[in-house]
Amino acid sequence: MKRSISITAKAALVATGLAVAAPAAAQTNLDFWSWRQEDAKAYNEIIAEFEKTHPDINITYTAHEAKAYNTILTTALAGGAGPDIIHTRAYGSLENISGAGYLEPLDGKVDFSHIPESLLRGTTLRADGKVYSVPFATQTVLVYYNKDLFDKAGVTPPETWDEFKQVTDKLKEAGITPLANGIADGWTIEVASGAIMPNFYGESFFGDVTSGKTTFEDPRYVAALGKMAELAPYMPTGFEAVDYATMKALFTSGSAAMFIGGSWEIPAWREAGLNFGFMAGPAAKAGDTRMVATWLDGGYAVNAASPNKEAALEFIRFTATPEFAQMLADKLNNVPAVQGATPKDEALQQIIKLQEHQTPYIMLVAFRYQKPTGSTLLQDGLKKLLTGQATPEEVAKAVADGLASPE
Amino acid sequence: MEAVDFERAKAIRQRNLRLWLAFLLAPPALVLIIFVFIPMVSAVLYSLYEWDGLARGEFIGLRNFYDILFGPRLSAELFNAFWNNVKVFVTLMIVQNGYALVLAMLLARNPRGYRFYQVVFFLPVILSTVIIGFQWKLFLNPVFGLVNKALIYFGLSDWALPWLGLPETALPAMLLVNSWHWFGFPTLVFLAAIHRIPTDFIEAARLDGASEWRIAREIIWPLMAPAVTIIVVLTFIGSFNWFEIPYIMNGLEGSPEGSTDMLGLLFYRTAFGSVSVGTSDFGHGSALAVLMFIFIFVFSILATKYLTSREVEMS
Amino acid sequence: MANVELRAVDKSFGRVDVIRNVNLDIRDGEFVVFVGPSGCGKSTLLRLVAGLEDLTDGEIHIDGQRVDHLAPSRRGVAMVFQSYALYPHFTVRENMGYALRVAGEDKAEIARKVEAAADVLQLTEYLDRKPKALSGGQRQRVAIGRAIVRDPKVFLFDEPLSNLDAKLRVQMRIELTKLHGKLGATMIYVTHDQVEAMTMADKIVVLRDGVVEQVGPPLELYNRPANLFVAGFIGSPAMNMFEGSVVEAGADGLVLDLPGVGRLSWPASGTLKAGDKVHFGIRPEHFIREGEPDGKVAGEVYAAERLGGETYIYLNTENGSEVTVHASGDWAARPGDRLEAGFMLENAHLFGPDGQAVPGREG
Repeated sequence: MKRSISITAKAALVATGLAVAAPAAAQTNLDFWSWRQEDAKAYNEIIAEFEKTHPDINITYTAHEAKAYNTILTTALAGGAGPDIIHTRAYGSLENISGAGYLEPLDGKVDFSHIPESLLRGTTLRADGKVYSVPFATQTVLVYYNKDLFDKAGVTPPETWDEFKQVTDKLKEAGITPLANGIADGWTIEVASGAIMPNFYGESFFGDVTSGKTTFEDPRYVAALGKMAELAPYMPTGFEAVDYATMKALFTSGSAAMFIGGSWEIPAWREAGLNFGFMAGPAAKAGDTRMVATWLDGGYAVNAASPNKEAALEFIRFTATPEFAQMLADKLNNVPAVQGATPKDEALQQIIKLQEHQTPYIMLVAFRYQKPTGSTLLQDGLKKLLTGQATPEEVAKAVADGLASPE
Repeated sequence: MEAVDFERAKAIRQRNLRLWLAFLLAPPALVLIIFVFIPMVSAVLYSLYEWDGLARGEFIGLRNFYDILFGPRLSAELFNAFWNNVKVFVTLMIVQNGYALVLAMLLARNPRGYRFYQVVFFLPVILSTVIIGFQWKLFLNPVFGLVNKALIYFGLSDWALPWLGLPETALPAMLLVNSWHWFGFPTLVFLAAIHRIPTDFIEAARLDGASEWRIAREIIWPLMAPAVTIIVVLTFIGSFNWFEIPYIMNGLEGSPEGSTDMLGLLFYRTAFGSVSVGTSDFGHGSALAVLMFIFIFVFSILATKYLTSREVEMS
Repeated sequence: MANVELRAVDKSFGRVDVIRNVNLDIRDGEFVVFVGPSGCGKSTLLRLVAGLEDLTDGEIHIDGQRVDHLAPSRRGVAMVFQSYALYPHFTVRENMGYALRVAGEDKAEIARKVEAAADVLQLTEYLDRKPKALSGGQRQRVAIGRAIVRDPKVFLFDEPLSNLDAKLRVQMRIELTKLHGKLGATMIYVTHDQVEAMTMADKIVVLRDGVVEQVGPPLELYNRPANLFVAGFIGSPAMNMFEGSVVEAGADGLVLDLPGVGRLSWPASGTLKAGDKVHFGIRPEHFIREGEPDGKVAGEVYAAERLGGETYIYLNTENGSEVTVHASGDWAARPGDRLEAGFMLENAHLFGPDGQAVPGREG
C-alpha cells in the first residue's frame, strides 16, 4: 500500500515535471548583437514588447564597442559562432559578411512591402540580388543653423545658393564663423557635399551615373564640385586641420553659425541646449526643389549558422512592420526605413518631410563596393579642391578615373 | 673506480641543471610560438589567397605581392607611405636622437639639478602614446589649440597655421610630438653609455689638449657605440612600424593628401578597411604585412651587424 | 723642463678640506714623490698640478709662470694614469700621437716623434696594435710613451705601477728611474708605497690628511723623521715605538722611563719637562747583538723568520709591547727563547707629546 502510493506520487511528480518542462523546452533564447551601446535601454524595451506577443522567445541584447564591432562580429562569424540576430551595417560593409555566406537570405521570408526599393538596395547582395538584412533607419544630410546667431546677424535661413552666400557674408561681417565644417576628417567633407551638391547635379544624375550613362566628369557634377570650392572662405581659420570634434565644439559653443552634418547629430545639439534649426541644402536657384541626401544606416539580419533560425526570423519579420518603425522613431529618434510610422518628435517629422525630395548619398550607396572606394576618391578630391590645389575638372577626372580602374 | 663515479655525478648534475634551464625557458618560448610565429605563418598563407571580404577565395600565388609592388594604385600608396617612413626615420635620428645625444653629453657633465633634469626628460616617455597624441592634437587645434593661441598672443598670427591640416607641416608637427614623447629614452641610454666610459679617458684627452667638442666626437662618441647601435636599430624598427601618433593625430588615411601616410596605416586600412576606405582585404593586407616584416627584419639585422662591428671593448 | 712651485694651496670638496696650505718647491729635473696613506690627498695634489681639479685657494707656478688658471693642456704637463687611460679605439701609434694631432702638428713630425718614443720604450713592434692586445707592462709603457711624445715640462705619474705584478713593478721602477736620468725632466710621482718612494725619489713629500708632514731626500726622512707619523710611515718593517715619560728634565738632557726598555738618559732636552709623555723609536735594523749598547730591549720570541742572509725576530716584551728585530746574517732564535737586543742612542728617535721629534745629540 505504502509502496503503491509512493509510486503514484513519483509518477505524478514526473508528470508535473514534464508539464513544467514543456514550455521551458519550447522557450528559445536568442542572442542579438549590435554596436549601439547608447541604445541598449530602448532596444530592451522594444524587445520586451516583442516578447509580450511571443512568450516563447527570449532575446538578449548585447551592444559592443562601435569601432570594434565589425572585428568582433566577423571574428565570431568566421569561427562559426556569433549571435542569432545581427545588427548589420549596409552597402559594402554588409557585403563583407553577406558575400561570405554568413547571413540568411530573407526574400520570401519577410514582408518588405513597407520598405522603399531604394533602401532595400542597401541590404541587397549585388552578386545574387537577394536581401540579407531588414533596413532599419536612414540618415539624412542636413544644414543645421544656430537661430540665436542668425538673429544676432539679422539673417534668416537661406533658400537658394545666392541667399546662402549672402547669409554667410553677413555672418562673417558680424564676426561669426559662418560654417563649422573643416576638412581634417575626410568623411565630414563628404557629408557636407551631400547637402550642397545634389541640388546642383540634379535628381537624374544618380541614375545616370550608376547605370553608366554618364561618368563623374559629367558637366553637372563638375559644376556641383565648383560650388563646394566656394565653401572654403566660410569655414573656420585653419579649417585644414579642423576635425569632427572641433566642428562640433565650434557649433555647440556658438562660435559657428552653421554645421552641415548627419541627422544623428540632433541629440547632441539638444543636449548642448542649442537653439537650432535645420534645413535642406540651398536650391541652385529660386523655385528649384531642395533635395536631401539620405542613406541607409544598417539593418537586422539572421545568422545563417543559427540553430534557432525560425525564432530569429520571427523577430526579423517584426522589424519590418510599422509598429516597430513607430517604436524606433519614438524610443530612439531614428528615422525609420520602414514606412507608415508617425513619429511624435517634431524634428523627426520634419526630416521625414524633407525626405520627400531625397536622393541617395551617392558614394556610400553606390560606389563603396570596390577599391578605391568612391568615398576615398571624393574625399581626397574635395580636400584638394577646398585647399585650392585642384580644379573641379581635375577632381572629377580623378574620381572618374579611380572608379574606372579598380584593383 | 672512485674517480669515475665523481665524473658521473658531475655529469648528471650538469645535465640536470641544463634540463632545468630548458624547462624554465620552454613556457615563454611556447607563448612566443603561439602568439608570434603562428600568426606570422598564417599571414604568409593569407597573402597567397584572394579574399572577398572575410571569405577566402582561390590560391593566387604572389599576385597580391605583385599588386602591392607594381599595381597602379596600391604601389603608389606603398611608395608614398614608404618614403614617409624613411623621412620619419631620418628626422627622428637627427631631431630626436641628436637632441638626446646633446642632452646626454650635457647631463654627463653633472650639472646642478642633474636628478631633476633626468626625471623631467624621462617623464614623457612613461606617458601613454594615446594620451600624448590626443593631447598634442588638442594643443595643435587651429581653433582652440594652445600653440596657435600662444603664437597669436605673441603677435605671430602669421605663424598660427593649421599645423595638422597642411601637407607641409603635418608630418613635421607629428614628428616633433613623437620626439617630445621619446627623446628621454635615448637620452637615458646615451647617458648610461657615457657614464660607462672611465673618466680617465676624458681627462687624458683633456690633458692631450682636445677641445670639449673634440672629446665628444673622438673619444666619447666612438666609445658609446653599443648604445648607438641599440638606439639606431630601435629607431629604425619604430620608424617603419610607426602607427599610433599618425593614427591618433591625423587618422587612418594619412591626411592631408597622404603626407602622413605610413606603412602601418596603409596596412591597417587595406587589411581591415575603414568607414570611407571600404571593405577589408586580407590578401593585400597580409602581403603588405609580410613585405614590411621582411624589410624591417633584414635591415635591422644588417644594421646591427654593421653597427656592432664598430664597437670597441673598453679597458 | 721646469721647476714647480706650490704656494699656500688649498682644496676643498664641499665642506671637506682635502688639501690644506701646501707649500712646495720642486726644482728643475727633480724626481719628487708624493707619498702617504690612502686618502691623504696626494692624488688630489697631483691633479691640482695637472689642472684636472681647480684650486680652492693658493697658486701654482710652473717654470716661473702662474698656471692655476690655465686649462690642463696649456700647463705643459703630461700625466700617466693609474689605469693608463689608453684610448681603446686607437692603436698604440694613435694613442701616442693624439696630443700632437690635436695640436695640429705635421703628420711626418708626429710619426717621427712617436717612433722615437716607441724606440726608447721598445714598443716599435706594437705600434699598430690596439691596447687590448697588449700586456699590462706594455700598456704601462705606452702610457709613458704618450707622455714622452708631448715633451712636457713636467711629468705627472699617478700610482702608475699599482696595477702591475710585483716582479714587473720592480723592473718598471728601475726603468722609470733610468728614463728620468735620460730625460732629465721634472717628474712628480704619486704612490702609497714607501718602497717606491725611497727607491725612486730625489725628494719625498709625505702627506697626511692634506697636510705636508715632511719634505726631504729619502735618507733624510729615514734618518731624521720630523715626527711620529713620518717615522712610522717611512721604513720597512716599521720603526718600533715605546711609550714612556720624562722623569727628569735638565739642561744637559732628559731621563726617560720607558716600560720594556727601562730608564735611559737622552742627551738633549728640547722643550720637554718632567712628566711629559714621549714616544721612543728604534728601527728594527738598528738592533745590535754585540758591542756595548746604550740600552737593551728584552722579551720572549714569538716568531722568527730566518732567511739566511737576514733574520726577522718578533718579541713580546714584559709589558706586552711587540718589537721587531731585523738583523743581518743568521740569528738562531726560536719561539719561546728569551732574547735581548741592544741599541745605540745615536740610532734612536724621541718624539714629544706633540709628536714632533726631539733632537738628539747632534741636533
